[in-house]
Amino acid sequence: MLSFVSLGFILFFLLCFAGYYLLPGKMQWIWLLAFSWLYYLLAAGPGLIIFLIYSTAVTWCGGLFAERGFKAAVPVTLLLDFGMLAALKYTNFLVLNLNTIFGTHLSIRTLFLPLGISFYTFQTAGYLLDVTWKRCKAERNFFRYALFVSFFPQIMQGPIGRYDRLSSSLYTAHSFDVNRFQRGLIRILWGFFKKMLIADYAAQYVNTIFDPASAFYAYGIFGVLMYSAELYADFSGGIDIVLGAAEILGITLDENFRQPFFATSITDFWHRWHITLGTWMKDYLFIPLTLSTWMGRFGKWCRKHLGKTTGRAMPVCVANIIVFLVVGIWHGPAWHFIVYGLYNGLIIAVSGLLAKPYRTWKKALHINDKSNAFHLFQIIRTFILVNISWYFDCSETLGQAFRMMRASLHAPFFSVTFVNPEAPGQCLLHFATILSGCAVVFLISILRERNIDVRGRILSLPVSSRVVLLLMFVFILGMLGCYNDFGGFIYANF
Amino acid sequence: MEQLLEILEDIQPDADYETCTTLIDDGFLSSFELLSLVSELEETYEIRITPVDLIPSNFNSAQAIYDLIQRLQK
Repeated sequence: MLSFVSLGFILFFLLCFAGYYLLPGKMQWIWLLAFSWLYYLLAAGPGLIIFLIYSTAVTWCGGLFAERGFKAAVPVTLLLDFGMLAALKYTNFLVLNLNTIFGTHLSIRTLFLPLGISFYTFQTAGYLLDVTWKRCKAERNFFRYALFVSFFPQIMQGPIGRYDRLSSSLYTAHSFDVNRFQRGLIRILWGFFKKMLIADYAAQYVNTIFDPASAFYAYGIFGVLMYSAELYADFSGGIDIVLGAAEILGITLDENFRQPFFATSITDFWHRWHITLGTWMKDYLFIPLTLSTWMGRFGKWCRKHLGKTTGRAMPVCVANIIVFLVVGIWHGPAWHFIVYGLYNGLIIAVSGLLAKPYRTWKKALHINDKSNAFHLFQIIRTFILVNISWYFDCSETLGQAFRMMRASLHAPFFSVTFVNPEAPGQCLLHFATILSGCAVVFLISILRERNIDVRGRILSLPVSSRVVLLLMFVFILGMLGCYNDFGGFIYANF
Repeated sequence: MEQLLEILEDIQPDADYETCTTLIDDGFLSSFELLSLVSELEETYEIRITPVDLIPSNFNSAQAIYDLIQRLQK
């Protein structure tokens, strides 16, 4: 696999970069398409690129037919597109559950999941719906459309792109820009920092504690905090590399994170975490579902039987729970992912229903919800709720998640065993590296939360200071970085 | 307009609807509150709001919402 944190990827990107700026502007997108397909071939293998081309071809044709007013084009295309995802990703889950419920003996087949399938299927479906709803025009050139689907930095783990925004920078000619190159490079290095100094070390603790055969369930709280560090550093670090690489090529991708651990509610968390999945769900599922005719009828029924305030909120609550059920299923074919989605959906739905009484209680208790103390309380409350959700996300089964939760309730938070210098891979230096790395990420997050352009500040330093900073950064990565890339990036498996 | 302001105050009392022109852009109305508002507007004014109408410029101020209602009632 051509993981982002590998010499192979660096050489691959340098080759792409060099050719990209040597070629005439009109040829640049063709060069990118060639490298994108080559990347997929190298990363996923020749067998799996067929699925990528299938999804591209089906939605490209679907877009053209939808634009010409063929009403059947949308459901047929969505069925073909999501049908492939469902068949490859969810067939075995369905068979297993049918066997359990009905006592049948349907056989389980080994199915290979094409890399990035959940990302590109959603991206292509979004394009089709945008064309249908006249938010963008259908792309006439198959190969230009193919680049939108397969653009190589983002194909593995997003961000999930929108055609109207991405196409404006994907096909235009770009000349080399030193400032943009430096900004992109800083972002890539920042991604390496998160991945190599936090995620891959934290993964060692998480893998030990969350191993189904683990004897360390009692350290679940410590494990789940490490998972917070791992998941955020891994996913957002990967996205930093993706966005940085694209920026060097002059292409602007959507942001996928905005300091998620400063969120003040679960709703706010999903506005800051995996943003492109959240906005996809909002635009293509949540809004159409809430405004659908049958949901309108359901709203009228609720108004009649539950009163005005609850009645108008109920359709939104139900749509929200359905959306998060889909988010759970998107994460993987397993009950623990489904519960993970429902947990988030239920919290948001209940918060929405209780919004009015909540305001009354705050008034009655003289709570100043504009104070810093209340803001801090909201952040801590959300952090705890998010960490509870990680039990469902990280465990391998639903039963394991509940067993770990139970064990965590009456357990020592931490054991010196984990920082035992004799335990391979878990020495004190690694633990200290994670903590220091998290402290740096926390400080940078505060600056970004205050809208300070950290990269701009670095680039305003004298050249000598920038060189020293770069050498220090490379030295730290070289000396302390983890070079055990445990199966690449977590979200590349979705 | 008065009726609309009452509805808005009932759904989210923390915004100044007389002056605010960034209800969506600055997050005064969350997705949840926006869709609750849509449900209320559809019921009160007997209009049909579709996903195409759900753009920030239609909901960024009380005046913009009022204009949308007027348009959809025609």
